[in-house]
Amino acid sequence: MGKVTNENNVKPNPTITFEAETFRRIQPEEYLRKFVQQHVRPDGRSYNHFRKTTVNLSCITTADGSSMVRIGNTTIVCGIKAEVSEPKLNFPKEGYLVPNIDLSPICSPRFKPGPPSEQAQIISENLNKLLKNPKVIDLETLCIEEGKAAWVLFADIVCVNYDGNIFDACVMALISALADVKLPKAVYEDGLVKATEEKIFALSFIRIPYSISFAMFDGKHLLADPNEMEESIIKSAITIAIDEAGQLCNIWKVGTSCTSEQLRFCISKARERYVDITSIIEKAKQAT
Amino acid sequence: MSRLELIGPQGLRNDGRRVQELRKINCKPSVLSQADGSAYIEQGNTKCLAAVYGPREARTKAQVLHNRANINVEISLAPFCMSERKKRSKSDKRILEIASAVKQTFETIIKTELFARSQIDIYLQILQFDGGTIQICINAATLALIDAGIPMVDYVCACSAGCIDDEPVLDLNYVEESHDTPELTVALLPKTGKITLLQMESRLHVDKFQSVMEMATVGCKKIYNILDDVVRENVKNLLEKKK
Repeated sequence: MGKVTNENNVKPNPTITFEAETFRRIQPEEYLRKFVQQHVRPDGRSYNHFRKTTVNLSCITTADGSSMVRIGNTTIVCGIKAEVSEPKLNFPKEGYLVPNIDLSPICSPRFKPGPPSEQAQIISENLNKLLKNPKVIDLETLCIEEGKAAWVLFADIVCVNYDGNIFDACVMALISALADVKLPKAVYEDGLVKATEEKIFALSFIRIPYSISFAMFDGKHLLADPNEMEESIIKSAITIAIDEAGQLCNIWKVGTSCTSEQLRFCISKARERYVDITSIIEKAKQAT
Repeated sequence: MSRLELIGPQGLRNDGRRVQELRKINCKPSVLSQADGSAYIEQGNTKCLAAVYGPREARTKAQVLHNRANINVEISLAPFCMSERKKRSKSDKRILEIASAVKQTFETIIKTELFARSQIDIYLQILQFDGGTIQICINAATLALIDAGIPMVDYVCACSAGCIDDEPVLDLNYVEESHDTPELTVALLPKTGKITLLQMESRLHVDKFQSVMEMATVGCKKIYNILDDVVRENVKNLLEKKK
Protein backbone atom coordinates (compact mmCIF):
# COMPACT_ATOMS: atom_id res chain seq x y z
CA MET A 1 0.00 0.00 0.00
CA GLY A 2 2.75 2.42 0.97
CA LYS A 3 2.05 6.10 1.29
CA VAL A 4 -1.32 7.67 0.84
CA THR A 5 0.01 10.38 -1.50
CA ASN A 6 2.60 10.17 -4.21
CA GLU A 7 6.12 10.37 -2.87
CA ASN A 8 7.59 11.68 -6.12
CA ASN A 9 5.46 14.78 -5.98
CA VAL A 10 8.05 17.57 -6.16
CA LYS A 11 5.76 20.37 -5.06
CA PRO A 12 5.43 20.73 -1.32
CA ASN A 13 2.01 19.48 -0.44
CA PRO A 14 0.11 21.68 2.03
CA THR A 15 -2.02 18.81 3.36
CA ILE A 16 -0.55 16.42 5.91
CA THR A 17 0.29 12.97 4.60
CA PHE A 18 0.50 9.78 6.60
CA GLU A 19 1.89 6.35 6.23
CA ALA A 20 -0.93 3.81 6.09
CA GLU A 21 0.33 2.37 9.40
CA THR A 22 0.06 5.78 11.10
CA PHE A 23 -3.45 6.17 9.74
CA ARG A 24 -4.36 2.77 11.20
CA ARG A 25 -3.04 3.75 14.59
CA ILE A 26 -4.73 7.10 14.96
CA GLN A 27 -8.01 6.37 13.14
CA PRO A 28 -8.55 2.61 13.32
CA GLU A 29 -12.27 2.77 12.66
CA GLU A 30 -11.92 5.02 9.62
CA TYR A 31 -9.08 2.81 8.40
CA LEU A 32 -11.26 -0.29 8.51
CA ARG A 33 -14.15 1.60 6.89
CA LYS A 34 -11.95 2.59 3.93
CA PHE A 35 -11.22 -1.10 3.33
CA VAL A 36 -14.76 -2.31 3.88
CA GLN A 37 -16.05 0.24 1.35
CA GLN A 38 -13.89 -1.58 -1.20
CA HIS A 39 -15.37 -4.95 -0.10
CA VAL A 40 -12.10 -6.18 1.31
CA ARG A 41 -10.61 -6.42 4.81
CA PRO A 42 -7.23 -5.07 5.96
CA ASP A 43 -5.63 -8.52 5.89
CA GLY A 44 -6.79 -9.10 2.30
CA ARG A 45 -9.72 -11.39 3.08
CA SER A 46 -13.23 -10.99 1.70
CA TYR A 47 -16.17 -10.67 4.14
CA ASN A 48 -16.96 -14.36 4.34
CA HIS A 49 -13.46 -15.69 4.26
CA PHE A 50 -12.22 -17.62 7.29
CA ARG A 51 -8.53 -17.69 8.16
CA LYS A 52 -6.41 -20.76 7.64
CA THR A 53 -7.18 -23.26 10.36
CA THR A 54 -5.01 -26.13 11.53
CA VAL A 55 -5.48 -28.71 14.25
CA ASN A 56 -2.83 -30.85 15.91
CA LEU A 57 -3.87 -33.70 18.19
CA SER A 58 -2.04 -35.46 21.07
CA CYS A 59 0.67 -32.81 21.24
CA ILE A 60 1.04 -32.88 25.06
CA THR A 61 2.08 -36.32 26.24
CA THR A 62 1.52 -35.60 29.94
CA ALA A 63 -2.19 -34.93 29.31
CA ASP A 64 -4.88 -37.60 28.80
CA GLY A 65 -6.08 -35.80 25.70
CA SER A 66 -4.76 -32.69 24.04
CA SER A 67 -4.96 -30.56 20.95
CA MET A 68 -3.50 -27.41 19.48
CA VAL A 69 -5.64 -25.24 17.24
CA ARG A 70 -4.51 -22.35 15.10
CA ILE A 71 -6.89 -19.98 13.36
CA GLY A 72 -4.68 -17.53 11.52
CA ASN A 73 -2.30 -16.36 14.23
CA THR A 74 -4.58 -17.25 17.11
CA THR A 75 -3.11 -20.30 18.84
CA ILE A 76 -4.79 -22.32 21.57
CA VAL A 77 -3.53 -25.38 23.42
CA CYS A 78 -6.02 -27.52 25.28
CA GLY A 79 -4.96 -30.29 27.64
CA ILE A 80 -7.35 -32.59 29.45
CA LYS A 81 -6.45 -34.29 32.71
CA ALA A 82 -8.66 -36.95 34.25
CA GLU A 83 -8.95 -37.49 37.98
CA VAL A 84 -11.14 -39.67 40.12
CA SER A 85 -13.45 -37.92 42.52
CA GLU A 86 -16.79 -38.31 44.28
CA PRO A 87 -19.79 -37.46 42.09
CA LYS A 88 -21.84 -34.40 42.95
CA LEU A 89 -24.64 -35.08 45.44
CA ASN A 90 -27.49 -34.13 43.11
CA PHE A 91 -26.04 -36.11 40.16
CA PRO A 92 -24.73 -39.32 41.78
CA LYS A 93 -24.60 -41.17 38.44
CA GLU A 94 -22.53 -38.61 36.58
CA GLY A 95 -18.95 -37.54 36.29
CA TYR A 96 -18.20 -33.96 35.43
CA LEU A 97 -16.25 -31.75 33.14
CA VAL A 98 -14.56 -28.48 34.12
CA PRO A 99 -13.43 -26.18 31.31
CA ASN A 100 -11.11 -23.35 32.21
CA ILE A 101 -9.24 -20.86 30.06
CA ASP A 102 -6.10 -18.97 30.90
CA LEU A 103 -5.43 -15.73 29.04
CA SER A 104 -1.92 -15.09 30.27
CA PRO A 105 0.13 -12.02 29.32
CA ILE A 106 2.19 -14.25 27.03
CA CYS A 107 -0.50 -14.19 24.34
CA SER A 108 -1.08 -10.48 23.97
CA PRO A 109 0.17 -7.20 25.47
CA ARG A 110 -3.48 -6.51 26.37
CA PHE A 111 -3.53 -9.01 29.21
CA LYS A 112 -2.03 -8.30 32.59
CA PRO A 113 -0.62 -10.89 34.97
CA GLY A 114 -2.78 -11.72 37.95
CA PRO A 115 -6.14 -13.40 38.58
CA PRO A 116 -8.21 -14.42 35.51
CA SER A 117 -9.59 -11.43 33.68
CA GLU A 118 -13.28 -10.81 33.11
CA GLN A 119 -12.94 -11.93 29.52
CA ALA A 120 -11.32 -15.22 30.56
CA GLN A 121 -14.11 -15.89 33.05
CA ILE A 122 -16.78 -15.12 30.46
CA ILE A 123 -15.21 -17.50 27.96
CA SER A 124 -14.90 -20.25 30.60
CA GLU A 125 -18.54 -19.82 31.53
CA ASN A 126 -19.70 -19.82 27.91
CA LEU A 127 -17.73 -23.00 27.24
CA ASN A 128 -19.33 -24.57 30.28
CA LYS A 129 -22.79 -23.60 29.01
CA LEU A 130 -22.03 -24.99 25.59
CA LEU A 131 -21.00 -28.36 27.07
CA LYS A 132 -23.91 -28.62 29.50
CA ASN A 133 -26.86 -27.35 27.61
CA PRO A 134 -27.49 -29.12 25.26
CA LYS A 135 -25.44 -32.06 26.53
CA VAL A 136 -22.32 -32.77 24.52
CA ILE A 137 -20.84 -35.67 26.44
CA ASP A 138 -22.73 -38.51 28.03
CA LEU A 139 -21.60 -37.81 31.59
CA GLU A 140 -23.06 -41.08 32.87
CA THR A 141 -20.31 -42.99 31.06
CA LEU A 142 -17.84 -41.15 33.31
CA CYS A 143 -19.37 -42.71 36.41
CA ILE A 144 -17.30 -45.50 37.98
CA GLU A 145 -19.59 -46.38 40.91
CA GLU A 146 -22.86 -44.61 41.63
CA GLY A 147 -22.48 -42.03 44.38
CA LYS A 148 -18.96 -43.24 45.15
CA ALA A 149 -16.52 -42.51 42.34
CA ALA A 150 -16.53 -40.84 38.96
CA TRP A 151 -14.10 -39.37 36.49
CA VAL A 152 -13.60 -35.63 36.56
CA LEU A 153 -12.18 -34.14 33.40
CA PHE A 154 -10.29 -30.90 33.80
CA ALA A 155 -10.07 -29.19 30.44
CA ASP A 156 -7.42 -26.51 30.76
CA ILE A 157 -7.08 -24.20 27.81
CA VAL A 158 -4.03 -22.02 27.41
CA CYS A 159 -4.05 -19.19 24.92
CA VAL A 160 -0.61 -18.98 23.38
CA ASN A 161 -1.22 -16.26 20.82
CA TYR A 162 -4.20 -13.93 20.79
CA ASP A 163 -5.31 -12.65 17.40
CA GLY A 164 -9.06 -12.49 17.66
CA ASN A 165 -11.92 -14.98 17.47
CA ILE A 166 -10.68 -16.81 20.51
CA PHE A 167 -13.98 -18.45 21.36
CA ASP A 168 -14.20 -20.41 18.10
CA ALA A 169 -10.63 -21.58 18.59
CA CYS A 170 -11.36 -22.61 22.18
CA VAL A 171 -14.41 -24.63 21.18
CA MET A 172 -12.48 -26.38 18.43
CA ALA A 173 -9.58 -27.12 20.78
CA LEU A 174 -11.87 -28.33 23.55
CA ILE A 175 -14.00 -30.61 21.38
CA SER A 176 -11.03 -32.09 19.52
CA ALA A 177 -9.12 -32.64 22.79
CA LEU A 178 -12.16 -34.36 24.31
CA ALA A 179 -12.32 -36.61 21.28
CA ASP A 180 -8.63 -37.38 21.82
CA VAL A 181 -9.11 -38.46 25.47
CA LYS A 182 -8.31 -42.07 26.29
CA LEU A 183 -9.02 -43.25 29.81
CA PRO A 184 -8.10 -46.47 31.58
CA LYS A 185 -10.91 -48.83 32.49
CA ALA A 186 -11.63 -48.29 36.18
CA VAL A 187 -13.47 -50.43 38.71
CA TYR A 188 -14.54 -49.65 42.26
CA GLU A 189 -13.66 -52.22 44.90
CA ASP A 190 -14.33 -51.60 48.60
CA GLY A 191 -13.43 -47.97 48.78
CA LEU A 192 -10.64 -48.17 46.21
CA VAL A 193 -10.65 -47.41 42.52
CA LYS A 194 -8.51 -49.73 40.46
CA ALA A 195 -7.57 -48.77 36.93
CA THR A 196 -6.06 -50.79 34.12
CA GLU A 197 -2.67 -49.88 32.78
CA GLU A 198 -3.72 -49.49 29.16
CA LYS A 199 -5.90 -46.62 28.11
CA ILE A 200 -8.79 -47.84 26.02
CA PHE A 201 -11.93 -46.06 26.93
CA ALA A 202 -12.89 -43.03 24.80
CA LEU A 203 -15.63 -40.53 25.59
CA SER A 204 -19.04 -40.90 24.00
CA PHE A 205 -20.36 -37.80 22.33
CA ILE A 206 -24.06 -37.01 22.16
CA ARG A 207 -23.47 -34.20 19.69
CA ILE A 208 -20.45 -32.33 18.39
CA PRO A 209 -20.95 -28.57 18.45
CA TYR A 210 -18.60 -26.03 16.94
CA SER A 211 -18.99 -22.29 17.17
CA ILE A 212 -18.65 -19.81 14.34
CA SER A 213 -18.28 -16.08 14.95
CA PHE A 214 -19.05 -13.01 12.92
CA ALA A 215 -18.36 -9.36 13.60
CA MET A 216 -20.76 -6.67 12.48
CA PHE A 217 -19.26 -3.42 11.27
CA ASP A 218 -21.36 -0.26 10.83
CA GLY A 219 -24.51 -2.29 11.35
CA LYS A 220 -24.50 -3.83 7.89
CA HIS A 221 -21.21 -5.53 7.04
CA LEU A 222 -20.77 -9.02 8.45
CA LEU A 223 -17.15 -10.04 8.77
CA ALA A 224 -16.54 -13.74 9.37
CA ASP A 225 -13.79 -14.83 11.77
CA PRO A 226 -12.67 -11.35 12.94
CA ASN A 227 -9.03 -10.87 13.86
CA GLU A 228 -7.82 -8.88 16.85
CA MET A 229 -7.70 -5.55 15.05
CA GLU A 230 -11.26 -5.93 13.72
CA GLU A 231 -12.51 -7.18 17.08
CA SER A 232 -11.16 -4.11 18.85
CA ILE A 233 -13.11 -1.77 16.56
CA ILE A 234 -16.45 -3.46 15.99
CA LYS A 235 -19.28 -2.91 18.42
CA SER A 236 -21.32 -5.98 17.67
CA ALA A 237 -20.58 -9.69 17.37
CA ILE A 238 -22.58 -12.82 16.70
CA THR A 239 -21.44 -16.29 17.74
CA ILE A 240 -23.41 -19.30 16.60
CA ALA A 241 -22.86 -22.83 17.85
CA ILE A 242 -24.28 -25.61 15.72
CA ASP A 243 -24.04 -29.39 15.83
CA GLU A 244 -23.48 -32.02 13.16
CA ALA A 245 -27.20 -32.09 12.23
CA GLY A 246 -27.05 -28.36 11.53
CA GLN A 247 -29.18 -27.69 14.63
CA LEU A 248 -28.53 -24.56 16.63
CA CYS A 249 -27.01 -25.22 20.04
CA ASN A 250 -26.30 -21.74 21.30
CA ILE A 251 -26.30 -18.20 20.01
CA TRP A 252 -24.52 -15.28 21.59
CA LYS A 253 -25.23 -11.86 20.24
CA VAL A 254 -23.69 -8.82 21.86
CA GLY A 255 -23.67 -5.13 21.02
CA THR A 256 -25.82 -3.21 18.58
CA SER A 257 -28.92 -4.65 16.91
CA CYS A 258 -29.05 -6.83 13.84
CA THR A 259 -31.87 -7.81 11.51
CA SER A 260 -33.30 -11.30 11.26
CA GLU A 261 -32.01 -11.58 7.67
CA GLN A 262 -28.50 -10.97 8.92
CA LEU A 263 -28.96 -13.64 11.54
CA ARG A 264 -30.27 -16.09 8.95
CA PHE A 265 -27.31 -15.29 6.71
CA CYS A 266 -24.93 -15.99 9.59
CA ILE A 267 -26.59 -19.32 10.31
CA SER A 268 -26.31 -20.44 6.68
CA LYS A 269 -22.65 -19.40 6.55
CA ALA A 270 -22.05 -21.17 9.87
CA ARG A 271 -23.44 -24.41 8.43
CA GLU A 272 -21.02 -24.15 5.50
CA ARG A 273 -18.12 -23.49 7.86
CA TYR A 274 -19.11 -26.44 10.07
CA VAL A 275 -18.41 -28.83 7.20
CA ASP A 276 -14.95 -27.31 6.75
CA ILE A 277 -14.16 -27.61 10.46
CA THR A 278 -15.14 -31.29 10.56
CA SER A 279 -12.97 -32.07 7.55
CA ILE A 280 -10.00 -30.26 9.18
CA ILE A 281 -10.41 -32.26 12.40
CA GLU A 282 -10.89 -35.53 10.50
CA LYS A 283 -7.62 -34.87 8.71
CA ALA A 284 -5.87 -34.21 12.04
CA LYS A 285 -7.22 -37.49 13.44
CA GLN A 286 -5.84 -39.40 10.49
CA ALA A 287 -2.46 -37.72 10.88
CA THR A 288 -2.03 -38.96 14.47
CA MET B 1 17.98 -51.60 47.23
CA SER B 2 14.44 -50.56 46.42
CA ARG B 3 15.70 -47.62 44.46
CA LEU B 4 14.96 -47.54 40.76
CA GLU B 5 18.08 -48.19 38.77
CA LEU B 6 18.76 -44.93 36.97
CA ILE B 7 21.70 -46.15 34.94
CA GLY B 8 21.25 -49.55 33.37
CA PRO B 9 23.93 -52.25 33.04
CA GLN B 10 24.82 -51.08 29.53
CA GLY B 11 25.43 -47.57 30.82
CA LEU B 12 22.16 -46.32 29.40
CA ARG B 13 19.75 -44.11 31.33
CA ASN B 14 16.01 -44.65 31.66
CA ASP B 15 15.30 -42.58 28.54
CA GLY B 16 17.98 -44.33 26.50
CA ARG B 17 20.67 -41.68 26.71
CA ARG B 18 24.30 -42.14 27.62
CA VAL B 19 25.65 -40.27 30.67
CA GLN B 20 27.19 -37.37 28.77
CA GLU B 21 24.34 -36.99 26.31
CA LEU B 22 21.95 -34.01 26.15
CA ARG B 23 18.27 -34.45 25.43
CA LYS B 24 17.24 -33.52 21.92
CA ILE B 25 16.78 -29.77 21.65
CA ASN B 26 14.35 -28.31 19.19
CA CYS B 27 13.90 -24.56 19.15
CA LYS B 28 12.41 -21.82 17.08
CA PRO B 29 12.46 -18.04 17.55
CA SER B 30 9.68 -15.63 16.42
CA VAL B 31 6.75 -17.93 17.00
CA LEU B 32 4.25 -15.39 18.35
CA SER B 33 2.82 -12.49 16.38
CA GLN B 34 1.73 -10.31 19.31
CA ALA B 35 4.95 -10.30 21.33
CA ASP B 36 8.00 -8.16 20.58
CA GLY B 37 10.17 -11.22 20.78
CA SER B 38 9.33 -14.86 21.31
CA ALA B 39 10.77 -18.34 21.22
CA TYR B 40 9.71 -21.93 21.62
CA ILE B 41 12.10 -24.50 22.94
CA GLU B 42 11.76 -28.21 23.45
CA GLN B 43 14.34 -30.12 25.40
CA GLY B 44 13.36 -33.75 25.42
CA ASN B 45 9.86 -33.76 26.84
CA THR B 46 10.11 -30.34 28.48
CA LYS B 47 8.42 -27.71 26.34
CA CYS B 48 8.60 -24.01 27.03
CA LEU B 49 7.35 -20.89 25.33
CA ALA B 50 8.82 -17.45 26.00
CA ALA B 51 7.50 -14.01 25.12
CA VAL B 52 9.31 -10.73 25.61
CA TYR B 53 7.56 -7.37 25.67
CA GLY B 54 9.41 -4.13 25.82
CA PRO B 55 11.27 -2.05 26.59
CA ARG B 56 7.96 -0.37 27.37
CA GLU B 57 6.45 1.95 29.93
CA ALA B 58 6.48 0.48 33.42
CA ARG B 59 3.06 -0.67 34.58
CA THR B 60 3.25 0.92 38.01
CA LYS B 61 5.24 3.88 39.21
CA ALA B 62 6.84 1.78 41.93
CA GLN B 63 8.59 -0.29 39.27
CA VAL B 64 10.31 2.68 37.63
CA LEU B 65 14.07 2.73 38.10
CA HIS B 66 15.54 6.09 37.23
CA ASN B 67 18.83 4.81 35.83
CA ARG B 68 17.99 1.49 34.19
CA ALA B 69 15.21 -0.72 32.91
CA ASN B 70 13.29 -2.93 35.28
CA ILE B 71 13.13 -6.58 34.29
CA ASN B 72 10.02 -8.51 35.14
CA VAL B 73 9.98 -12.30 34.82
CA GLU B 74 6.88 -14.41 35.19
CA ILE B 75 6.67 -18.15 34.84
CA SER B 76 3.44 -20.05 34.52
CA LEU B 77 3.00 -23.78 34.41
CA ALA B 78 0.12 -25.12 32.34
CA PRO B 79 -2.18 -27.19 34.58
CA PHE B 80 -1.69 -30.20 32.31
CA CYS B 81 2.11 -30.00 32.17
CA MET B 82 2.87 -32.70 34.75
CA SER B 83 1.64 -36.23 35.21
CA GLU B 84 -0.55 -35.09 38.08
CA ARG B 85 -2.82 -32.12 37.61
CA LYS B 86 -1.94 -29.45 40.09
CA LYS B 87 -3.32 -25.99 39.89
CA ARG B 88 -0.23 -24.03 40.72
CA SER B 89 -0.82 -20.42 41.48
CA LYS B 90 1.59 -17.84 40.19
CA SER B 91 2.61 -17.09 43.74
CA ASP B 92 3.87 -20.65 44.29
CA LYS B 93 7.15 -20.17 46.15
CA ARG B 94 9.09 -22.65 44.05
CA ILE B 95 8.08 -20.89 40.82
CA LEU B 96 8.76 -17.47 42.28
CA GLU B 97 12.23 -18.61 43.25
CA ILE B 98 12.95 -19.81 39.71
CA ALA B 99 11.56 -16.57 38.25
CA SER B 100 13.78 -14.59 40.56
CA ALA B 101 16.83 -16.65 39.51
CA VAL B 102 16.02 -15.98 35.84
CA LYS B 103 15.53 -12.29 36.57
CA GLN B 104 18.82 -11.96 38.40
CA THR B 105 20.62 -13.76 35.59
CA PHE B 106 19.37 -11.40 32.93
CA GLU B 107 19.72 -8.20 34.95
CA THR B 108 23.46 -8.37 34.50
CA ILE B 109 23.36 -9.53 30.87
CA ILE B 110 20.86 -7.10 29.37
CA LYS B 111 22.19 -3.59 28.89
CA THR B 112 19.47 -2.18 31.11
CA GLU B 113 21.16 1.21 31.49
CA LEU B 114 20.16 2.01 27.90
CA PHE B 115 16.47 1.97 28.76
CA ALA B 116 16.10 4.06 31.90
CA ARG B 117 12.60 4.32 33.39
CA SER B 118 11.20 1.48 31.30
CA GLN B 119 10.31 -2.14 31.79
CA ILE B 120 11.13 -5.37 29.99
CA ASP B 121 8.69 -8.21 30.56
CA ILE B 122 9.72 -11.81 30.10
CA TYR B 123 6.82 -14.26 30.24
CA LEU B 124 7.53 -17.96 30.28
CA GLN B 125 4.93 -20.64 29.83
CA ILE B 126 5.78 -24.26 30.48
CA LEU B 127 3.52 -26.47 28.41
CA GLN B 128 4.97 -29.83 29.28
CA PHE B 129 7.36 -30.62 32.08
CA ASP B 130 10.07 -33.26 32.34
CA GLY B 131 12.72 -31.73 34.56
CA GLY B 132 15.16 -28.86 34.18
CA THR B 133 12.87 -25.86 34.73
CA ILE B 134 15.58 -23.27 35.32
CA GLN B 135 17.72 -24.30 32.41
CA ILE B 136 14.87 -24.34 29.90
CA CYS B 137 13.54 -21.01 31.18
CA ILE B 138 16.93 -19.35 30.79
CA ASN B 139 17.53 -20.80 27.33
CA ALA B 140 14.05 -19.83 26.12
CA ALA B 141 14.40 -16.31 27.55
CA THR B 142 17.78 -15.85 25.85
CA LEU B 143 16.33 -16.79 22.50
CA ALA B 144 13.26 -14.57 22.95
CA LEU B 145 15.37 -11.59 24.06
CA ILE B 146 17.60 -11.97 21.00
CA ASP B 147 14.47 -12.17 18.86
CA ALA B 148 13.17 -8.94 20.47
CA GLY B 149 16.44 -7.23 19.58
CA ILE B 150 17.24 -6.26 23.16
CA PRO B 151 20.96 -5.46 23.54
CA MET B 152 22.77 -8.06 25.61
CA VAL B 153 26.38 -8.64 26.51
CA ASP B 154 26.29 -12.26 25.38
CA TYR B 155 24.06 -15.30 25.16
CA VAL B 156 23.24 -17.01 28.43
CA CYS B 157 23.10 -20.77 28.19
CA ALA B 158 22.09 -22.99 31.04
CA CYS B 159 22.50 -26.68 31.58
CA SER B 160 22.18 -29.07 34.46
CA ALA B 161 24.31 -31.99 35.50
CA GLY B 162 24.06 -34.42 38.35
CA CYS B 163 25.78 -37.32 39.93
CA ILE B 164 24.23 -40.78 39.94
CA ASP B 165 26.11 -43.65 41.61
CA ASP B 166 29.33 -41.62 41.70
CA GLU B 167 29.11 -40.97 38.00
CA PRO B 168 28.58 -37.47 36.60
CA VAL B 169 25.47 -37.31 34.41
CA LEU B 170 24.43 -34.53 32.03
CA ASP B 171 20.98 -32.93 31.67
CA LEU B 172 18.74 -34.66 34.21
CA ASN B 173 15.15 -35.49 33.37
CA TYR B 174 12.27 -35.52 35.84
CA VAL B 175 12.70 -39.15 36.94
CA GLU B 176 16.38 -38.61 37.68
CA GLU B 177 15.72 -35.26 39.34
CA SER B 178 13.10 -36.64 41.68
CA HIS B 179 15.30 -39.51 42.92
CA ASP B 180 17.23 -37.30 45.26
CA THR B 181 20.06 -36.92 42.76
CA PRO B 182 22.40 -34.02 43.44
CA GLU B 183 21.69 -31.55 40.67
CA LEU B 184 23.85 -28.65 39.63
CA THR B 185 22.45 -26.02 37.27
CA VAL B 186 24.98 -23.78 35.60
CA ALA B 187 24.28 -20.74 33.46
CA LEU B 188 27.24 -19.22 31.70
CA LEU B 189 28.25 -16.70 29.10
CA PRO B 190 29.70 -18.93 26.39
CA LYS B 191 32.10 -16.35 24.88
CA THR B 192 33.94 -15.54 28.07
CA GLY B 193 33.07 -18.70 29.97
CA LYS B 194 31.94 -16.64 32.95
CA ILE B 195 29.35 -18.20 35.20
CA THR B 196 26.26 -16.14 36.00
CA LEU B 197 24.19 -18.69 37.84
CA LEU B 198 25.08 -21.73 39.85
CA GLN B 199 22.54 -23.66 41.81
CA MET B 200 22.92 -26.94 43.55
CA GLU B 201 20.36 -29.06 45.27
CA SER B 202 20.97 -32.04 47.52
CA ARG B 203 24.35 -33.28 48.74
CA LEU B 204 27.35 -33.78 46.51
CA HIS B 205 30.81 -34.88 47.55
CA VAL B 206 33.34 -32.11 47.10
CA ASP B 207 35.68 -34.38 45.09
CA LYS B 208 32.94 -34.97 42.56
CA PHE B 209 32.07 -31.29 42.23
CA GLN B 210 34.76 -30.48 39.69
CA SER B 211 33.81 -33.23 37.26
CA VAL B 212 30.06 -32.48 37.51
CA MET B 213 30.77 -28.81 36.99
CA GLU B 214 32.91 -29.52 33.94
CA MET B 215 30.20 -31.70 32.48
CA ALA B 216 27.58 -28.96 32.92
CA THR B 217 29.94 -26.42 31.33
CA VAL B 218 30.41 -28.66 28.30
CA GLY B 219 26.60 -29.02 28.12
CA CYS B 220 26.19 -25.23 28.15
CA LYS B 221 28.62 -24.88 25.25
CA LYS B 222 26.73 -27.53 23.27
CA ILE B 223 23.47 -25.70 23.93
CA TYR B 224 25.11 -22.45 22.88
CA ASN B 225 26.05 -23.95 19.51
CA ILE B 226 22.47 -25.13 18.95
CA LEU B 227 20.97 -21.76 19.90
CA ASP B 228 23.51 -19.83 17.86
CA ASP B 229 22.80 -21.91 14.74
CA VAL B 230 19.08 -21.29 15.11
CA VAL B 231 19.55 -17.54 15.61
CA ARG B 232 21.83 -17.26 12.58
CA GLU B 233 19.44 -19.28 10.45
CA ASN B 234 16.58 -17.05 11.55
CA VAL B 235 18.46 -13.85 10.73
CA LYS B 236 19.40 -15.28 7.34
CA ASN B 237 15.74 -15.95 6.60
CA LEU B 238 14.82 -12.43 7.70
CA LEU B 239 17.44 -10.92 5.39
CA GLU B 240 16.22 -13.00 2.49
CA LYS B 241 12.68 -11.79 3.08
CA LYS B 242 13.91 -8.18 3.00
CA LYS B 243 15.49 -8.60 -0.41
